[in-house]
Amino acid sequence: MINVKNLKKSFGDNEVLKDISLHVSTQEVVVVIGPSGSGKSTFIRCLNMLEEVNGGQVLIDGKDLTDKKTNINEVRTDVGMVFQHFNLFPHKTILENITLAPMNVRGLKKAEAEEKARTLLAKVGLAEKAAAYPDSLSGGQKQRVAIARALAMEPKVMLFDEPTSALDPEMVGEVLEVMKQLAKDGMTMIVVTHEMGFAREVGDRVIFMDNGYIVEQNEPKALFDAPQHERTKSFLSKVL
Amino acid sequence: MDFRFDIVTDYMPFFLKGMGITIGVSLAGVLIGLILGLFIALGKMSSNRWIRLPFNIYINIFRGTPLLVQLLIIHFGVVPLFMSPSNPLVSLVIGLSLNAAAYIAEIFRAGIQSIDRGQMEAARSLGMTRVQAMKLVILPQAVKRVIPPLGNEFIVLLKESSLGSVLAAPELMYWGRAAAGQYIRVWEPYITVALIYLVLTLSLTYLMNYVERRLNTDDQR
Repeated sequence: MINVKNLKKSFGDNEVLKDISLHVSTQEVVVVIGPSGSGKSTFIRCLNMLEEVNGGQVLIDGKDLTDKKTNINEVRTDVGMVFQHFNLFPHKTILENITLAPMNVRGLKKAEAEEKARTLLAKVGLAEKAAAYPDSLSGGQKQRVAIARALAMEPKVMLFDEPTSALDPEMVGEVLEVMKQLAKDGMTMIVVTHEMGFAREVGDRVIFMDNGYIVEQNEPKALFDAPQHERTKSFLSKVL
Repeated sequence: MDFRFDIVTDYMPFFLKGMGITIGVSLAGVLIGLILGLFIALGKMSSNRWIRLPFNIYINIFRGTPLLVQLLIIHFGVVPLFMSPSNPLVSLVIGLSLNAAAYIAEIFRAGIQSIDRGQMEAARSLGMTRVQAMKLVILPQAVKRVIPPLGNEFIVLLKESSLGSVLAAPELMYWGRAAAGQYIRVWEPYITVALIYLVLTLSLTYLMNYVERRLNTDDQR
């Protein structure tokens, strides 16, 4: 589904991703952990070309995103993304936030898009908020709307860039619950997070990144209980 | 000091006619300036430096030189190349539009760039093109933020249209100077003209405040 080969990315002289290769299969849930500045957010942003890459290849569903001839907008319709700071459109209602892209990008009729949006809102437990504006929602509710907005495009993959890092602690659970359900439904997911409990419970595979490299990857149980590398051990000893 | 109201009443029809032209010229200047300004703002934000360059030069020239100089060059130099005789109203509208476009472009650019980068990223991540993201997500939010500085610019433009009197464009100030010349009086014509300008700018201020309030209540229920 996703195939990353020797990915490199620098910001000026600062080499953030040094040589990342990763294969993610359909329906797999991959959780990326690592200290701040390890490049994990940059990495996930490279997977839908929100960051231009400097070397290597990113293939999604066989399409090479680094190829100039690939229609990046088309690929992005298949790759949903959820951001740390939600990035809901404040001038649109919750319903409009969700229907905007399906109507304008996929060409759905308004009635059709709204019906689907309401179904998704019900799924994330916010059916009654359809007519509200993002400003009136709590952080956890905003993030759940953001997930529904991404799902409305019927993506094949979902990327989560620290989806709970900007939330009050008591709201983290409701967002993780929605993500858990999504994983159960068979969505292919890549999740950058600091929620080790989530990684352990939901992840099929956990990746530990540091300093621009993938240091170690394994099944959650193996990685958390018996880390192989010194760097992984010291990181886990601090966060667990 | 005796204030001769008869001068004011004598010239009132001309003042009113001039006021109409002042309003018309300013409106035309604002409308053309808005369209050109948006275009220049988008051009100046291009990621290609060679595309940015001409827009930068344009803004620097029109912001960096006095409007009066621009008007004289346009009226006596540029417009005669296309029409003869040169029409002062045409020159005035061209000058005001081109000048306002430079300022409005900067207002638009600031407004657009003040929108959080995450908005563009969210829109693009959903598969929208740059143009769709601009049109559907960025510009609607930017419009709200540029209303106050745009209102300012409209007021400036309305007052600057008085420079048209130098080109003998028959706007409000032109008739003020005509009255002053005919009666050899300073207070009556200029005070009257000043008061009319004040009424116009205050009405505009009120109108802009109203628009601002409307836009605010529209979005935040």
